[in-house]
Amino acid sequence: MTLTPPSLPAGDLTPDPPLTEEDAARSRDRARVHHARGHGKRWQLLWLLAGPGILAMLGENDGPSMIAYASDGAQYGLGFFVPLIPVLFALAYVCQEMCMRVGAVTHRGYGGLVLQRYGRTWGWFGAGDLILTNLVTLIAEFVSIRVGLAYFHLGSVVAVTLGLTLVVFSLSGGRYWRWERIVLGLALFNGLFLVAAILVRPHPGAVADSLDFLPFPGGSFSTLLLLLASTVGATVTPWMIFFQQSASADKGMTARDVRHGRYDTAAGAVLAAIFGIGALIAGAALRTHGGPGLQGFAGAGFPEALTHVAGGGAGAVFALGLIEAGAVAILTICASTAYAAGECAGVSRSFNNSPRNAAVFYAANLGVALLAAVVIFIPGAPLLSIVLNANVLATVLLPVSLVFMVMLANDTALMGQWANKRSTNAIGITVIVFVGLCGAAYGIDSFLQAVHLIGP
Amino acid sequence: MTTDAGQGSGRGEPNPGEHRDEPVAPLQRGQFVAETSRPVPRAALSARAAAGLWALRVFAVLVSLMVIYAFIDQLR
Repeated sequence: MTLTPPSLPAGDLTPDPPLTEEDAARSRDRARVHHARGHGKRWQLLWLLAGPGILAMLGENDGPSMIAYASDGAQYGLGFFVPLIPVLFALAYVCQEMCMRVGAVTHRGYGGLVLQRYGRTWGWFGAGDLILTNLVTLIAEFVSIRVGLAYFHLGSVVAVTLGLTLVVFSLSGGRYWRWERIVLGLALFNGLFLVAAILVRPHPGAVADSLDFLPFPGGSFSTLLLLLASTVGATVTPWMIFFQQSASADKGMTARDVRHGRYDTAAGAVLAAIFGIGALIAGAALRTHGGPGLQGFAGAGFPEALTHVAGGGAGAVFALGLIEAGAVAILTICASTAYAAGECAGVSRSFNNSPRNAAVFYAANLGVALLAAVVIFIPGAPLLSIVLNANVLATVLLPVSLVFMVMLANDTALMGQWANKRSTNAIGITVIVFVGLCGAAYGIDSFLQAVHLIGP
Repeated sequence: MTTDAGQGSGRGEPNPGEHRDEPVAPLQRGQFVAETSRPVPRAALSARAAAGLWALRVFAVLVSLMVIYAFIDQLR
């Protein structure tokens, strides 16, 4: 059953709804898509429809994630992680493809759809999870920029100014297309981690040998849990779900664009996996040079350490990569917060609208960035602990968002023929169970340690 | 509420060349702000589904509290 006819029959005389500023802007973008499709311009069509998938995936290759990959490499080497990262991004593809499909078919964002379809309680719970994880992650992104800038002897003020300036600059213009292209242009610099990997001159044989998931990482059970939880949290997070569905709708994608949306999401997953492995390889170069001591955001020492091992070029490129990773994540995470705020408040939530007409959307976008920036300046704020726990918190709260995502993608009243197939559901449920177990195991283990019921 | 849930394209996916320069034409009816502002009907959740969702929510809150407690403990 579909709730209403999906399209109007030929000759339908129902008057068009009133045209808003947002409709006009979106229709201009769609006109270009129709033109490219109508004239068989395949590459132009691909260019026009690319965006949300690549941004979600490369946005998730953020500062804490790249430091997590580099830490994995520095502590455990390449084995296990080189094949694990592509597997995790393949799982992320399945989740993100659902978001894109639901956004393209329903033209609505995730937060609003959950709130309207399943009730305010679930909608606000989801928004609450998102705001909490986004705020923590945004603090980590500012720290990431600061770590990168520290290599060039620049401090927190420059880091915060850079981050906030980018947010304001990307928001000016009142067009989704403009915002997307600015962030997409920045996101491609995530490839700096691949450059860093090349500069450390890894042995090709060592990379090939690591494809068999061996050796399995050693260390204590809790260390392994933290490793798994933070690596999972480095590939799929609640903000990605909110972002890609809402951005697909804001971009004006339709069911006819789903195939290109899949290309976009797959391209993002492949690029993110390659660049993530780049960070891992760069970190692995430090394994025999004090790398295991550079845990977490003590990983502030990564660029310096790479300079000693592979030269100033590798260190500088890694530092620039951290700045880029933090900057892109700030833009995408702020956008996901703004979409959720607008959807839950039931007001305009589009980059295609002006700040005057979408005050909540723009205020949330800038406000959450400002809030995170303020924390950076609080003397004695536990930034290191916040950064280390950002991915873990996202992993713990992710299953709830994923369950609603699978429910929406299976809702035949909304999705009709675009509803999930059994195979997609099987993978989706596997991801939910895996993520839930990782998060729960880490949470319970760390709690029991904290109350001294078990040893570290 | 209008979605693309069924087959094919809406009025906004015209034949190539048709209405190409007209700003409104490329949008499907369900994409208009006036349409997306209308709430979708509430889905009827079975008692089992609702119970499962609440169980998952309680689970997520409990584990989050454990992580936050461990986080605060680390600070000490």
